[in-house]
Amino acid sequence: MKEFLMLIRENLDNYGKMTPEEMQADIAKHVKWVEQLVKNGNFKGGNPLMPMGKHVKGNNKMVTDGPYIETKEGVSGYYFLLANSLEEAAEIAKGCPSLQIGGTVEIREVIQTQQ
Amino acid sequence: MKNEENINHLTAHLFRENSGKMVAVLSRLFGLHHIDTVMDVVQDTFESVLTQWRFSGVPDNPSAWLMKVAKNKAINALKRENKTKSFSPSLYLTHFDDSFENQFDILLSPKEIQDSQLRLLFACCLPDLSQKNQVILTLHILCGFGVPEIANAMLMNNEAVKKVIARSKDQLKELNNILQTRLITLSEERIQTVHTILYLMFNEGYKTTRSKKGINNDLCYEAIRLAKLLDHKNAPRQHETQALLALMFLNISRFPARVNMQEEWLTLEEQDRSKWDKVFIEEGYYYLNKAVESKSVTRFHIEAIIASLHCSASSFEKTNWEEISKLYRILEQLEPSGLVKLNRIMAESYISNSKSIQAIDKLKSNLLFKDNFLLSAAKGDVYQRKGQFKNSLSSYEEALQLAVSPADKKFLKKKISQYKQNQN
Repeated sequence: MKEFLMLIRENLDNYGKMTPEEMQADIAKHVKWVEQLVKNGNFKGGNPLMPMGKHVKGNNKMVTDGPYIETKEGVSGYYFLLANSLEEAAEIAKGCPSLQIGGTVEIREVIQTQQ
Repeated sequence: MKNEENINHLTAHLFRENSGKMVAVLSRLFGLHHIDTVMDVVQDTFESVLTQWRFSGVPDNPSAWLMKVAKNKAINALKRENKTKSFSPSLYLTHFDDSFENQFDILLSPKEIQDSQLRLLFACCLPDLSQKNQVILTLHILCGFGVPEIANAMLMNNEAVKKVIARSKDQLKELNNILQTRLITLSEERIQTVHTILYLMFNEGYKTTRSKKGINNDLCYEAIRLAKLLDHKNAPRQHETQALLALMFLNISRFPARVNMQEEWLTLEEQDRSKWDKVFIEEGYYYLNKAVESKSVTRFHIEAIIASLHCSASSFEKTNWEEISKLYRILEQLEPSGLVKLNRIMAESYISNSKSIQAIDKLKSNLLFKDNFLLSAAKGDVYQRKGQFKNSLSSYEEALQLAVSPADKKFLKKKISQYKQNQN
């Protein structure tokens, strides 16, 4: 099995518009999804990221709050998935509940440098 | 990340319930004039556990966890507000210093959390607000309902709900001191308002559940949850609270039978009684037995007993209409309203329907029934049982013209189409 990084991008402002009931439902969906990944052997790991970050750019090492100025869209978390091919990984990623609330996911194969 | 098989799952509505608890505890510390900050802290708390629990799964004691996060966020918010000097603490929190954390921890015992919720419930039942607005405010602040959920449950649009919440919150802010005193939760007068609000909240849910399952049932369950807070031995009018709980439980016991597969609501006569929830019926009787220890009889007592008579009838035909009619007469004395009268007339029509139509027609002058479909629908039903099908059909058609809610319309259309089928 190959390893894939899945980045979740979301409009981080969206959370503020959700009601407690909706947030609970969202958590339940994610938990269920991860359970499924674990069961099928597609899960390796994953973590959420703080919504605030710093962006360091260029030779002058300019520090800003982020590349995203117009929208609050940002990476909200990442997973490491196990799959046989990029296509299979993308198919698995379709189940990510963040897609249901307007998020996007990006899948990249991890190159194993140490054998 | 938990890899084990036994990942915890959140119990239904845990967030919503904890929203009310957190707002109650925090507003007792901050004071109601800081209700906006309090609500922000609670929202913030949910957002941060949302991001975490999505990945880590749900911790063992999610309620305690939420409260811990809320506490830290509250302390940060206080520090921020302190810096800008805009913060004036509540009376409970005489000064903001290191003892704040201790004061907070004291408020986290189950008994204190319950007490905080009770105080907030009494505060939300502001006499200056209309009853409907009291219900909306309570749902928002104490039950964690968002704007779209309230709009859905109360058949309003989002903008109207937002306006009501904003205006009501402004009034709540002026009540700074009330949460500090236990007196208000012991006030005989205010408890009646609270009872009425919970009764309305329940009825609002009961009424709209005809159309959809889901959120509106929740209004009924929330009303029960809050009414349970009032059922303790130091509370005034405890028997009245118990009567209210009895009538709520006995009425929700019929929920599983009220709607058929086509989402059409069924009359008492059409319902499959084996589907009635026996646990809720038992719970209803438990509270009813306690409620009738009281020396005084209230409308809630009578309504609970009426509901219990329906629950104890093994079939529609075996309903004790004599007793129910008598009880409606007593209820009319206690609560003179057109609706009670109409219910009494309908109950009596099952004993004899010779004068029912005239009796219903007399209610026409009552403003309550102006442009309302209920009288015509009631006549349609009586005519049908009298075997006067033409009159029945025209009454149902009249009712359909007046009906507003989709569920009511659907019900009337079904009645009308049944006639048309029979004619063919």
